[in-house]
Amino acid sequence: MSAANGTDERIRSVGFMQRMVSRPELGSIFGLIIILVAFIVMTASAGTFPAMFGNLVGVQAWVELAAYVGILAIAAALLMIAGEFDLSIGANIALAGHSFAIMVLLGLPIPLAIVLTFIEMMLLGALIGTIVVRTGLPSFIVTLAFWFASRGFAIFLSQTIFKQSRLSIREYVDPPAGGGTDPTWIDNVFAFSEAFGLPFDAYVYYFVIIAILATLMLTRTRYGNWIFSAGGDPVAARAVGVPVARVKISLFMFSASMACLLGVVTVMGSGSADPQAGDFRELHAIAAAVIGGCALTGGYGSVVGAVLGAFIFAIASRGINFVPFIDNNLFRVMLGLLILGAALLNQALRNRVVRG
Amino acid sequence: MTTTPTIEIRHLSKYFGSIIALKDVSFEVYKGEVTALLGDNGAGKSTLIKTLSGVHKPSEGEILIDGKPVHFNSPRDAAAAGIGTVYQDLALQPLMSVTRNFFLGREISKGPFLDFETMDRITREEMAKIGIDVADPSQAIGTMSGGQRQTLAIARAIYFGAKVLILDEPTSALGQKQQLEVLRTIKRVRDRGDLAIIFITHNDLHARLVGDRFAFLNRGRILASGTRETIDLDNIRTLMAGGDELAELEHEFAEGMA
Repeated sequence: MSAANGTDERIRSVGFMQRMVSRPELGSIFGLIIILVAFIVMTASAGTFPAMFGNLVGVQAWVELAAYVGILAIAAALLMIAGEFDLSIGANIALAGHSFAIMVLLGLPIPLAIVLTFIEMMLLGALIGTIVVRTGLPSFIVTLAFWFASRGFAIFLSQTIFKQSRLSIREYVDPPAGGGTDPTWIDNVFAFSEAFGLPFDAYVYYFVIIAILATLMLTRTRYGNWIFSAGGDPVAARAVGVPVARVKISLFMFSASMACLLGVVTVMGSGSADPQAGDFRELHAIAAAVIGGCALTGGYGSVVGAVLGAFIFAIASRGINFVPFIDNNLFRVMLGLLILGAALLNQALRNRVVRG
Repeated sequence: MTTTPTIEIRHLSKYFGSIIALKDVSFEVYKGEVTALLGDNGAGKSTLIKTLSGVHKPSEGEILIDGKPVHFNSPRDAAAAGIGTVYQDLALQPLMSVTRNFFLGREISKGPFLDFETMDRITREEMAKIGIDVADPSQAIGTMSGGQRQTLAIARAIYFGAKVLILDEPTSALGQKQQLEVLRTIKRVRDRGDLAIIFITHNDLHARLVGDRFAFLNRGRILASGTRETIDLDNIRTLMAGGDELAELEHEFAEGMA
């Protein structure tokens, strides 16, 4: 019948606007523009525009926060698209930092300590993922357990071995007081701070690389296809041969390794392992992923959205300090409204994808 | 007919403990033909589908494909032998694109990345073959009608090597207009001539429209079967409604009135 000449009455063309609206990150593009304009206007009227946007220190403040939250938000977004949650990611930053510091203080060479910490955290991610997949418990509950357990275990270890919860490894990574050469090369290469003539800390560049790789992986590879299907309809995905359990476990491992990366890099950068490291970051990451258009029910979302969500979070979070006429405490109120508004907008956009 | 049936079911029985789900079920399906399998709820239709697609093992009897007995240990075995089952829920992802759904689990890659050019082209071609023109294979499945989704699931099963297509109540969850669209698709697939179709339904009108052979399943047994020529099509409705039981009820009511 009409198939050959392409005039089937059952098919209508989908216009450019419809296709744009169908993109998960659309809401966060608008969000970022609104937040940027708002803070440019507000800082300009308060006379603090140059301090926030016009010099390196000001820009570093929000770019580095966006990178920190963004790395976690990418992991959170991938998991959310696959239909899972990871509340343990913030606590795992502390566990990774402490594990690393303990190994260094016990005399392990720093490169070996880094590798072992990554292996430890990936095994932890595999454990969390296996529990979720095998028991069928909601990942919210399973990772809530690790939210308590990871940080608790980190502090317990360092209290037991060193009788303190904050561990300094300054003598291993920083040059001795009064000058002299930096004791390790790995510190300068792996966790450099504004070195090599580069304006930002190392993890900002990791963020960029991870964002590009994760975007390609999610949108252009079969593994990415499987991530969407694992969250969209796991039963249907299994029916056509997608290894749903393996996909989910690997994403929990990725999430734990991102916590590890930040844990290790911040300990090397600051010279000490803080028991409060990464506190609340799991919620910031989830907020960024939600602002970026990820559906809490799975099957929908994007890495680009999570990255934009992290920038929105960071600009609002740091920017509030540059606007003297808004109370700092109002920031959390604003963030709450931002999340609610973004979630509502994204829900409306998502419905349009299905309704057409 | 002298040709070998593409799939032949011989004296198939399936027991779950003391429950007799299927008893002595026999029928055959030839390529280029539709065998309509009719039955009420609980007649054993889903047990039969699951046995044919490798989910259950038969307790007795055998399944022959192209004249050779086959034994399935898993749905994968059945798929490899050429059984393509299109389940009622279709196993589709509403938020994913037409192409992504078509190739889910069997993606084509070029190096590390998906080859969308090839996959889009194949999707468009395969859909066009059974009568749906997909202008934009990157649009989400959610924008398609129920009938179009059914067609996509059928096209996918055919492309990935189905010789026998099992359609599980493909018209039951749809609106009237879309039911007709699916029947048209079934007719088109039948007319290709290279596929044997098992059309499971409880709608006798739909069965009459596209069926070449008919089998009536009731309480796990084949109540009647035959070709369009040998079977009394007008009897279908009575059989569907329960046949003898209905007559009994009629009798009962008549006695009550007296």
